[in-house]
Amino acid sequence: HGILWGLIYCERLESTGAACVFVVRRDQDIYMETLRKLFNESHGIFVGLQRCEEERAARARNAQLVQVSKNYRSVIRACMEDMHQAASKSPFVLSVLFVSILSAMELIWNLCEILFVEAAPAGPLLLRLLDWVQLHICDVDNMVREVLSSENPSKHKLFWNVVDIFVLQGRMDEARHLLSKEAIANPTSMKMYKILDDLMKKMPLGNTQTLTEMELKWQHWHEECQRYLQDGTFASNSHMESICKILLGDENAILEKKELMTTWYHFLVTRLLYSHPTVKPMELRFYAQSSMDMFLGEESSPEPLDTILMAAFEFELHQVIKECSVALSNWWFVAHLTDLLDHCKLLQSHNLYFGSNMREFLLLEYASGLFSHHSLWQLGVDYFDHCPEYGRVYLELHIERIPLNTEQKALKVLRICEQRQMHEQVRSICKIMAMKALRNNRLGSALSWSIRAKDAAFATLISDRFLKDYCERGCFSDLDLIDNLGPSMLLSDRLTFLGKYREFHRLYGEKRFSEAARLLLMLMTAHIAPCSFWMTLLTDALPLLEQKEVIFSAEQTYELMRCLEDLTAGKLDRQKFQDDDVETMKVEMLRLALARNLARVIVKEGTLEGS
Amino acid sequence: MFGIVFNGNGFVWQSYPIFHLGFTRILHIIVSVMYRPPVCHNRNAFLSAFPNNVVSCRHEGPVWQVAWAHPMYGNILASCSYDRKVIIWKEENGTWEKTYEYTGHDSSVNSVCWAPHDYGLILACGSSDGAISLLSYTGDGQWEVKKISNAHTIGCNAVSWAPAVVPGSLIEQPSGQKPNYIKRFASGGCDNLVKIWKEEDGQWKEEQKLEAHSDWVRDVAWAPSIGLPTSTIASCSQDGRVFIWTCDDASGNSWSPKLLHKFNDVVWHVSWSITANILAVSGGDNKVTLWKESVDGLWACISDVNKGQGGVSAVTEGQQNEQ
Repeated sequence: HGILWGLIYCERLESTGAACVFVVRRDQDIYMETLRKLFNESHGIFVGLQRCEEERAARARNAQLVQVSKNYRSVIRACMEDMHQAASKSPFVLSVLFVSILSAMELIWNLCEILFVEAAPAGPLLLRLLDWVQLHICDVDNMVREVLSSENPSKHKLFWNVVDIFVLQGRMDEARHLLSKEAIANPTSMKMYKILDDLMKKMPLGNTQTLTEMELKWQHWHEECQRYLQDGTFASNSHMESICKILLGDENAILEKKELMTTWYHFLVTRLLYSHPTVKPMELRFYAQSSMDMFLGEESSPEPLDTILMAAFEFELHQVIKECSVALSNWWFVAHLTDLLDHCKLLQSHNLYFGSNMREFLLLEYASGLFSHHSLWQLGVDYFDHCPEYGRVYLELHIERIPLNTEQKALKVLRICEQRQMHEQVRSICKIMAMKALRNNRLGSALSWSIRAKDAAFATLISDRFLKDYCERGCFSDLDLIDNLGPSMLLSDRLTFLGKYREFHRLYGEKRFSEAARLLLMLMTAHIAPCSFWMTLLTDALPLLEQKEVIFSAEQTYELMRCLEDLTAGKLDRQKFQDDDVETMKVEMLRLALARNLARVIVKEGTLEGS
Repeated sequence: MFGIVFNGNGFVWQSYPIFHLGFTRILHIIVSVMYRPPVCHNRNAFLSAFPNNVVSCRHEGPVWQVAWAHPMYGNILASCSYDRKVIIWKEENGTWEKTYEYTGHDSSVNSVCWAPHDYGLILACGSSDGAISLLSYTGDGQWEVKKISNAHTIGCNAVSWAPAVVPGSLIEQPSGQKPNYIKRFASGGCDNLVKIWKEEDGQWKEEQKLEAHSDWVRDVAWAPSIGLPTSTIASCSQDGRVFIWTCDDASGNSWSPKLLHKFNDVVWHVSWSITANILAVSGGDNKVTLWKESVDGLWACISDVNKGQGGVSAVTEGQQNEQ
């Protein structure tokens, strides 16, 4: 059936004329919701596994890892459920496909858990495999329900099918229960039934004994079954006879029930159950290959799923991972499975050229894919964190490319970069946000971003804009920000000036005139203010000069006059300056005000106190 | 359809591939396989920006290529055209305006490429007059021009900058100081050559000549680097071949080519993914294919049909409209 994943559709955007653009992206529909949950939850399990303290005792560690594996599987099953629900609401032919893909993934993972993570030894191995088969071959459940719920189960046409299924899956108690109904309905076969029932009851199963004990018991039981069959005990009832043959592990008899088993791995497990119940893990490969050959026969060839399972039975880990990568064409499954197997220390012993790096390779691929999603990229960060070799540099490259649509998102990204000391990226992101804010005329935001980026040049640019705005409108925007600059004021000269200038205004507003005056003067004499702004500052000094009270001292007034002369002398284009009436008028006013102030202050300073 | 999609009015559509979740079987990627540098605004905003805005100046001929500058410089786009002009556009308050126009070439300008943002705002332009110009922004709307004349005989078709990463920096821990970058870029021309240029003392010198193609080189792409000591360049040509050039030593002296694939038609563009894992190739056979290097050093096609098979001679069309 070919395991596909990923639904892609093509959107065609027509423009004027012949040209058109194809935009290809994954189908954003209900499946995304379900898948997102899968990614989120598996992410949680992944991170938990990386961070959890390793148990020292081998057994405890094994149990820990098996639990993790079970968690992953339950997440897959939950996703299957949700997908099922979603599909029932809006029927879509591919929903069936998705559910079958997930089911296949769970099947494979479960087998890997039994063989690799738990590494079940001979004895328990078969029991696990039986559970595995029972769990995954669900077609029977409907049939069973149908038969059991009918009035006269033993007369149902599918009755013997169900009994056979139970036997094939080693569900002895259920088989016996059904058979008892047949015995009641058909008293003539009571004798046969009793014997068969007895045999089934006595079949050795379970892991409470040692292997040798088990083998001995089984041998005896097997011989007993053999005797009854040869005696012709079941000769008159073909159904029961075939059951007895199955109990004896007769391959042909088992193969006759091909349609009930539906898959070669079911056949494999049944075969093992009735002929080699103490099979060792390493022996599985032989039985697996022969089972597949016998079951599929000439007509059909193995499908991708079969190849994967076969590789698992052969304990070819790398083959399993490789086949899964090819068949599934998504990295989620192999990335998480390989990571788990790596924690089980199973990958390092293998002599592959990039041995344990396979884990990192797959995680990098998976996480890279996550980064193209508008919200799942956050999960990707954690995956990169746990890739010791290339994780950091991959993260650096990817995190810069996340679209910063909102300030919130930018802050989120920034926090991630700051936590990991990715200074380059922090600077880059802050610069981008500052530029964006500036383009949208949000000067305050731009300024705070450039401060965060420690970008002096940009801060200067923005301060200039602020000052320009002030000149044009006579007031400041974003006062809060400028008032609370603190030490970051020192980032750039222009920014310092902006901060101090605002302080001047504040002092003036609070009527602390002498302090304001002192600050104003200092701004010019200490050359904090740019020359272009001196005219404005001097104009700001006018109201202070015109106050009833004398504010500027003589010394200060001389300084102001000197500044004014410097300013007017410095104008290169005297012609232009003189033609500008407003400018000329301002200068004249200033000269007058300064002279007047000087006069008053000389008198004041010359006057003795109290006289 | 090749390279950039354009219509006769000289307007340009930028297009770019979108990867989602690594699940993709890219069936039919956008035609222009150019990965955008860091994105800072809504993609959709861009797609609507161009045709709806009346741009006061335009090109008078087909526009061959466009390139985005790093968003930290604002929304800046460079375009080059058959009309011998290179125009740099800037977005201010939602409208696009021309900020600079360069007319120093005598012939069609075929390719523009912005340098890594670490070097400032520098644009390389390759032209059919055989020269390569480097426009550097010096501030206050001023651009300084450096020209490399006769870079390629007959004409230069493509330029691509090397990443601002010191080779081997991943392995040797950096000293913490700002590294001394040596600016380099690659160019491909009608002389069938790929050339590597290096800046030394403010002058641009030809550092390497890479010969392997038998026809005009149509595109070059210098792969992004994660700091491994290997440098990689992809080049594609009129002769249908795509070569991957690798240099293992940091000094950049010995480049060796590996044939990615021989296509049945002209190959117009090659483009690397962010971490240089995947190479996208677009050609005159109306196909876009994705390639990845395998463990044994061979390149295998990973997009849809020819998955996992390297070196297949015919690349068949991917399935469209899979629903």
